[in-house]
Amino acid sequence: MLVYTIKRFFEMVIVFFLFLVISYLLFNAIPGNAFSSLLLNPLLPPEAYQKTIEAFGLDKPLFERVQLYIINFFKGDFGYSYTYYPRTPIDLIAERLPRTLMLFSIVNVVAFYTGFLVGKILAWRRGSKSETWITIGSVFSYTVFYPWFALMMLWFFGYKMDWFPLGKFLVPEKWYDSPYASDEIFYTLILFTTISSFLLFLVFIFTRNIESLQKRRNARLFGLIILASLATMYWTNGEAALKRFYAADIAYHMILPTFTVTLVAFAGTALLTRTTMMEVLKDDYILTARAKGLSQKRIRDRHAARTALLPVVTSFIFTIITIIDGSVLTESIFSWPGMGQLILEAVVQEDIPLAMATFSFIGILALIAHFIADISYAFLDPRIRIKAEN
Amino acid sequence: MPDLLLEVKNLSMHYDTLDGNVDAVKDISFSVKSGESFGLVGESGCGKTSVAMTLLQLQPDNSVITEGSIKLDGKELIGLSENDLRKVRWDSISIVFQGAMNAWNPVIKIGEQIREAMREHYPENSKQENIEKIDELFKMVGLDGSISERFPHELSGGMKQRAVIALALSCDPKIIIADEPTTALDVVIQDQILNEIKKVQDLLGLSLIYISHDIAVIAEMTDKIAVMYAGSIVEMGPTKDIFENPVHSYTRALLDSTPSIRGEKRKLKSLDGEPPSLINKIDGCSFAPRCPDRETKCNPTEHMRLVEIAPDHFVDICSQGKQ
Repeated sequence: MLVYTIKRFFEMVIVFFLFLVISYLLFNAIPGNAFSSLLLNPLLPPEAYQKTIEAFGLDKPLFERVQLYIINFFKGDFGYSYTYYPRTPIDLIAERLPRTLMLFSIVNVVAFYTGFLVGKILAWRRGSKSETWITIGSVFSYTVFYPWFALMMLWFFGYKMDWFPLGKFLVPEKWYDSPYASDEIFYTLILFTTISSFLLFLVFIFTRNIESLQKRRNARLFGLIILASLATMYWTNGEAALKRFYAADIAYHMILPTFTVTLVAFAGTALLTRTTMMEVLKDDYILTARAKGLSQKRIRDRHAARTALLPVVTSFIFTIITIIDGSVLTESIFSWPGMGQLILEAVVQEDIPLAMATFSFIGILALIAHFIADISYAFLDPRIRIKAEN
Repeated sequence: MPDLLLEVKNLSMHYDTLDGNVDAVKDISFSVKSGESFGLVGESGCGKTSVAMTLLQLQPDNSVITEGSIKLDGKELIGLSENDLRKVRWDSISIVFQGAMNAWNPVIKIGEQIREAMREHYPENSKQENIEKIDELFKMVGLDGSISERFPHELSGGMKQRAVIALALSCDPKIIIADEPTTALDVVIQDQILNEIKKVQDLLGLSLIYISHDIAVIAEMTDKIAVMYAGSIVEMGPTKDIFENPVHSYTRALLDSTPSIRGEKRKLKSLDGEPPSLINKIDGCSFAPRCPDRETKCNPTEHMRLVEIAPDHFVDICSQGKQ
């Protein structure tokens, strides 16, 4: 397993290197950039022009520039953003990335969990009326033209019903006399979410081995209640009590985009789970499980759904990547100031260092996602685990 | 009668398909005493597996049992609720399926798959007790206890089939159905598995229903056999009687098509034609179109029903000629 992991890691590094070279060449092929339009100013003295070009290394031949860029990249130097000068791309990404990650991790977890749950129930209740309607609904939300759908959601829930704000990250009026910066509050939120989901995960892991199903359910319920009371204690005491008001504002802005993307993302998982599970239900071992006298729920969850999980996990991890680029659309529609908007800005304004840096980040995320997919696949399917070991 | 473990009476079942009803099981009656082994033989598609599935009430959703009763230990199985059936399955009656290759869930360890059944039927047992029992069962079928910790794909076909037998024994059933347990295996392993089944059956005093198309295997395994053709039993009796004195033309044809090692060399006979499609209603004897004796000895217009010609030896009435 370790050898397999190391091998995969080295493959990843090579792929990433190629990715960097190719995207650098592609960006270089675009005529002009934000910088050159700045330099075309006729009032700029020629010496200053020459000096600036040299300072940024733009007079060097292409091959040397690629070399230089990659060496600097691995040193952690991404140059300067042309449009946000003197801020560096890494600085901008550090500001924007958490917002995107927060929004989309919540979406992904919720979408995967509900999608899998709905999918397995759909397959199990094959042919019933509710199955037909939910499947039709899922096909709709899976195939709908996403920007239109997002705008409709915004129009209906934001404008018509006035339940949710029309995009943005916060309501500026509430923050005029705020003692905290919005990012500080946001980091608190992220920390809170991460820790509570980790604890929730622990509760599920530790209760896994309880043999009796009844006892297991009670133990989980008990764990949830403890977690919920801990969370309440946290937000009502000390400094967090002061932050609560501002945190609620940000969380409130997150609801509608999360809900919209989840609706779209969950359908894919649900439909795929439904199909694979229907295949699995035809297998002989399901008949064995029934002959053994196992309960319906146990056959569904332990035998059918567990085996159907494999292709679903793979496809899900690939959708994570598309969701990250999909953030361009989502964030533009809901004016959420995250990575998606940054990418769009960088590309439209041809801010090449910034664009390169953001694209590399997506590349890294995509590679990590594939890496996790491979590892988790080996973890879920013993047949692959063995092969990887040999 | 206390020693009558399984009693099937007038069982009829059909599959509801788009093309019409397929009469897979037609008016079948038989009984199995405790400790007895009963063989069900017939060519592919004659309804053997349908009978097996109906005994466990595991028939597909499109099947309809039109009449009949299945009594296991005096308890009627047809019409039991799913929850009550779950208690009967594996606890009283277990099955060794046709394809052992696919009988195991590929992502769960063998031991866990056996324990899961034991947990369901003996919730009071501790994990350690279950593990000990599985080790014992594995020893009985000639497997090492460490197999519990393996995944199905790590075992060979023969090992998987042995493990399936251990699985079938795990909840101390009174009766085991073996549905062609050796078809996917080579001859050497086949023989070992058969011996294993026999040994275990003698050791534990189980009843066995052995289903196969291979009459030679059936002869070796069973005390009593029933020959099935097109969904009906055409001849039933003690194995010895049937082999020495086959009455029905189909039984004879079946025996004639099997080579014998010790007997004199002879040309194997085969039957012309194919078994009838069960989708069409058949009047009279369903074997008549292929029957070599239809012109001479038989009365193919007679509706099929069994008559007793010797103690415990039943045969379809049409083979008895005109009365």
